[in-house]
Amino acid sequence: MDNTKNKPPVGQALLAAAMLLPGVGAVHAETAPERGQIGLKYLYYKEDQTGLDRISVRAPSLYVLAPVAGEWSIAASATTDDVSGASPRYHSAVSGASRMSDLRKAGDVTVTRYLPRGSISMGAAYSTEHDYRSRALSLQGTLASEDKNTSWNLGIGGSDDSINPVNNIVRGEGRQTLSVLAGVTRVLTPFDIAQLTLTHSSGHGYYSDPYKLVDNRPRSRDQSTAMLQWNQRFTKLGGTSRLSYRYYRDSFGISAHTLGGEYVQSLSGGWTVSPSVRLYSQRAADFYFDPVYDAALGAPFPPGYVFGGTGFSSADQRLSAFGAVTVGIKVAKQIGRDWNVDLKLERYEQRGSWRLFGTGSPGLDPMRAVSLQIGVTRLW
Amino acid sequence: MRAQLPTAMVFLAMLSGCALKPVQAWEKGELARPDMLIQGDPLETRFNEHIYASKEAASGGSAVGGGGCGCN
Repeated sequence: MDNTKNKPPVGQALLAAAMLLPGVGAVHAETAPERGQIGLKYLYYKEDQTGLDRISVRAPSLYVLAPVAGEWSIAASATTDDVSGASPRYHSAVSGASRMSDLRKAGDVTVTRYLPRGSISMGAAYSTEHDYRSRALSLQGTLASEDKNTSWNLGIGGSDDSINPVNNIVRGEGRQTLSVLAGVTRVLTPFDIAQLTLTHSSGHGYYSDPYKLVDNRPRSRDQSTAMLQWNQRFTKLGGTSRLSYRYYRDSFGISAHTLGGEYVQSLSGGWTVSPSVRLYSQRAADFYFDPVYDAALGAPFPPGYVFGGTGFSSADQRLSAFGAVTVGIKVAKQIGRDWNVDLKLERYEQRGSWRLFGTGSPGLDPMRAVSLQIGVTRLW
Repeated sequence: MRAQLPTAMVFLAMLSGCALKPVQAWEKGELARPDMLIQGDPLETRFNEHIYASKEAASGGSAVGGGGCGCN
């Protein structure tokens, strides 16, 4: 990496020009945005398994960022997810995936106050579905070092969810979660910036899936993550690499590794093209069982299943051991100073045999999905 | 996880305190590029987090207070 040989010249004029750019001088979001932003995006997502159509999602979204009085900003987003189709088969020998349809509406707003060396943000989020409602609040603060090369980040958030499944298997259930976050962002060189973030959440309430048979999960769940992100600019190539790694572990016994990479290549005429790849692998929950079949009860009961038993069990394929790969490409074009349009296409595939560790789940049917995102953004 | 948390905290402290040549304000022009910001496209990030949280057991990692979903 010989990027350091390309240091920009030092001078008052350049300094003044650089300081006019949003975010310059600070390593994170400690400076108020100078321009507002409005973005629209449309997502189409569709799953399939061997020879079968599954869930499809259509989700238009709106994002607004408004600077206020030079020291404040308000960011808000709203989306609707129109979901329909059949949920994935959890096992290749089981054909009875149920059809469903749902409309999820979600919105959030964050108000940020910018200080000379930091910022304080308060956020609220709300979402509703026909059988689920979630409300969340958060408070987050950042503090930068004197040279603004290091920034520390602390946050706390809570959510209160209510669950009323349409099959009435439970009524008036809920789930409450408290989350904390600590992170540090560091400018490593004029062309490298890295961030490490730790989160921990502790929740209690109803975690079972009311629409799955033999699904009985613990009423509490602790989740922890460590996430490292590293962005590097290659000035000679006109490109930027964006790498991330996340380690996840929870009290269900699941651990997971996620590795992400994206390379943003600038082209002439305001075009950029960004190929990306994401690799994921998780270990199964302690109480996950492959839905082998009881001779008397049939699928998906585990051998020797006792009705009314209190043991934890789930055949949900999302709690099994599997690996997943996503490949994508994004094309964007800057139009003038104020407009940007983008299109992103991704392909996702999940297989039990791609797990990096753990056992089980050999009979899971591979699940594939494609997604298309089309967006337009305007600055003002 | 309890045993690994101190390790992660030490790593976090090391990253914040690692001895590097301080980057001056006038050297940060490239860091201000949108593609160099740690947080990417906000709507794309929301889409991805929501989709992955509904298909995989792991979720979160970069924020708090996002709320839950009936999809998982």
